[in-house]
Amino acid sequence: MAASNLAVKQALKNNPAPSSVDPQEVHKWLQDFTWDFKEKAGKYPTKYDMDVNTREQFKLTAKEYARMESAKEERQFGTLLDGLDRLDAGNKVHPRWGEFMKLVANFLETGEYGALAGSALLWDTAQSPEQRNGYLAQVIDEVRHVNQCASVSYYYSKHYYDPAGFTNMRQLRAINPLYPGVKRAFGEGFLAGDAVESSINLQLVAEACFTNPLIVALTEWAAANGDEITPTVFLSIETDELRHMANGYQTIVSIMNNPDTMKYLQTDLDNAFWTQHKFLTPFVGAALEYGSRFKVEPWAKSWNRWVYEDWAGIWLGRLQQFGLKSPKCLADAKKDAVWAHHDLALLAFALWPLTGIRLELPDRQDMEWFEANYPGWYEHYGKIYEEWRALGFEDPRSGFSGAVWMLQRGHGIFIDHTSSLPFCPTLGKGALKPSFLEKNGKRFAFSEPHGERMWLQEPERYEFQNFFEQFEGWELSDLVKAAGGVRSDGKTLMAQPHLRSTDMWTLDDLKRINFTVPDPMRILNWQPAH
Amino acid sequence: MSTNINGYNSGTNNKTGQAFVDEFLSEKNCTLPTSDAVVLALMKTEEINVIVDEMIRPMMDDNPALAVDDRGGYWWIKVNGKIVIDCDEATEILGKKYTVYDFLVNVSTTIGRAMTLGNQFVLTNELLGLETKIDSVY
Repeated sequence: MAASNLAVKQALKNNPAPSSVDPQEVHKWLQDFTWDFKEKAGKYPTKYDMDVNTREQFKLTAKEYARMESAKEERQFGTLLDGLDRLDAGNKVHPRWGEFMKLVANFLETGEYGALAGSALLWDTAQSPEQRNGYLAQVIDEVRHVNQCASVSYYYSKHYYDPAGFTNMRQLRAINPLYPGVKRAFGEGFLAGDAVESSINLQLVAEACFTNPLIVALTEWAAANGDEITPTVFLSIETDELRHMANGYQTIVSIMNNPDTMKYLQTDLDNAFWTQHKFLTPFVGAALEYGSRFKVEPWAKSWNRWVYEDWAGIWLGRLQQFGLKSPKCLADAKKDAVWAHHDLALLAFALWPLTGIRLELPDRQDMEWFEANYPGWYEHYGKIYEEWRALGFEDPRSGFSGAVWMLQRGHGIFIDHTSSLPFCPTLGKGALKPSFLEKNGKRFAFSEPHGERMWLQEPERYEFQNFFEQFEGWELSDLVKAAGGVRSDGKTLMAQPHLRSTDMWTLDDLKRINFTVPDPMRILNWQPAH
Repeated sequence: MSTNINGYNSGTNNKTGQAFVDEFLSEKNCTLPTSDAVVLALMKTEEINVIVDEMIRPMMDDNPALAVDDRGGYWWIKVNGKIVIDCDEATEILGKKYTVYDFLVNVSTTIGRAMTLGNQFVLTNELLGLETKIDSVY
């Protein structure tokens, strides 16, 4: 071998050519490619001053991001399409749980869609290249999550024994009295208004706090009730959420150095926490406890662990040294964590034909569990369910409706104008202090003072037509039929008040109730007790 | 019954029924708490199960307040201060190349401030960017 070749070989041995570049080294270089922010002002400027030097904690490059997400998808769909198919996983889910997943997957899909828009809003507004990098990855994550939630519904619709509801829950959103609450928290909360306020709603509260019980802890309940589909997808969704939580934290870091804008933070945090809590605390609690045969732990304990001790303690508590204070609504939120999901479940049973799912009244085993964990539950809710069952709640020939039963006894159902969710002033045990306010000749109902205050500050933000205003005068069976709430035979309802395949309610049975949607604000001269 | 202060059912959650509700709603528990802990949830996979057994559980020898709990589809881990997963060490144990981004494929949630540092995953209770800098190996 020539001496020159030997020299080259020896040199390469001593100083080998790199076979790859460390992605974090690439990330460091990329930060030199900054944008000209003077020329590119955000379309939606924020009232906060976001620091141009804010960092991104995961040091992502497009290559590593794509490789990581590709591995997630391969593992998730490999499990769904191979392993779980062979195990016939879709038919091993307890029907109570499977029915609630029709709502959970669909509602979360809306959340992911709102998050997509919200993180894009933040990308447009932030000034730090690293921060924008983190937000941009989140935009792409949220596209993935929208598809993942739809995949849960799609998988269930193919493999679960009763696909009705998984197939067209998007259509049924139109009449579901819970869905406006989803739009309020996940739609308007995530993507409207100030970009930093959107970040607080989306990343600091919804993702850093409530996705832990909704997407992580829920998988334990799913598995306990035979569902391995949801853990496969939801735990994979949550592997992106930790970067979103970091995005939310860095949003806060980016504004903390400027006291002129920092003064807005407390109010925005209080409002965001109440906005997300008002929907997520009752909905997740009801889904877990009323959508399960086999129960893991009381929802109030999950809330204490994930929301109070860990999120509030580890995120907010540590920020107290920088002036952050306890949200004023915390005590009321905790009371809701004990009772609000029972209040919401009662209304869901009362309004079951509008939900699109099959609900089952708590039986003796459930009642014992509820009473043991929520002393006083039986006297307040259990007796109502027993009376409803005796009056023919499940029987299609009975003409019975829980909603009619409530209205006949003066238990009006109203829509809280701020959260857009239904509430009953006389049967609720959560943090209720109802009020009616009037503006421009129209009356608005509020279930508690935190939401009332938010409306008084920004009434234009909460403009919407509620369920009763929208459908006043509709006969119930006509409404359900118009919204697509019937099965392929054109008459059997998708929603049912039991889980049996016999004695299914039809449009004719619903017509027998003889219920025309009223506007309780007009017919009930109800005033809050003083 | 767990005696670990970070155990899954420690503290208020150790109580049941009315005793739990009373303590949960007590005045002292309706203000913002401050915690020095961090929480990590890891999806159960072939690699993660090895990391939990070979890297995380042995940390208990030096840190008895480290809690590791089997929650069905995921591992729930809580510890005071900080937890660091060195993916170079994981590479040796697993017998295949395993980067911090491979680890992130199965990290289902974090409560605390998480970051990558070279080939390490760091989850800390420090307020990164406020109390301390976000470190970089470059």
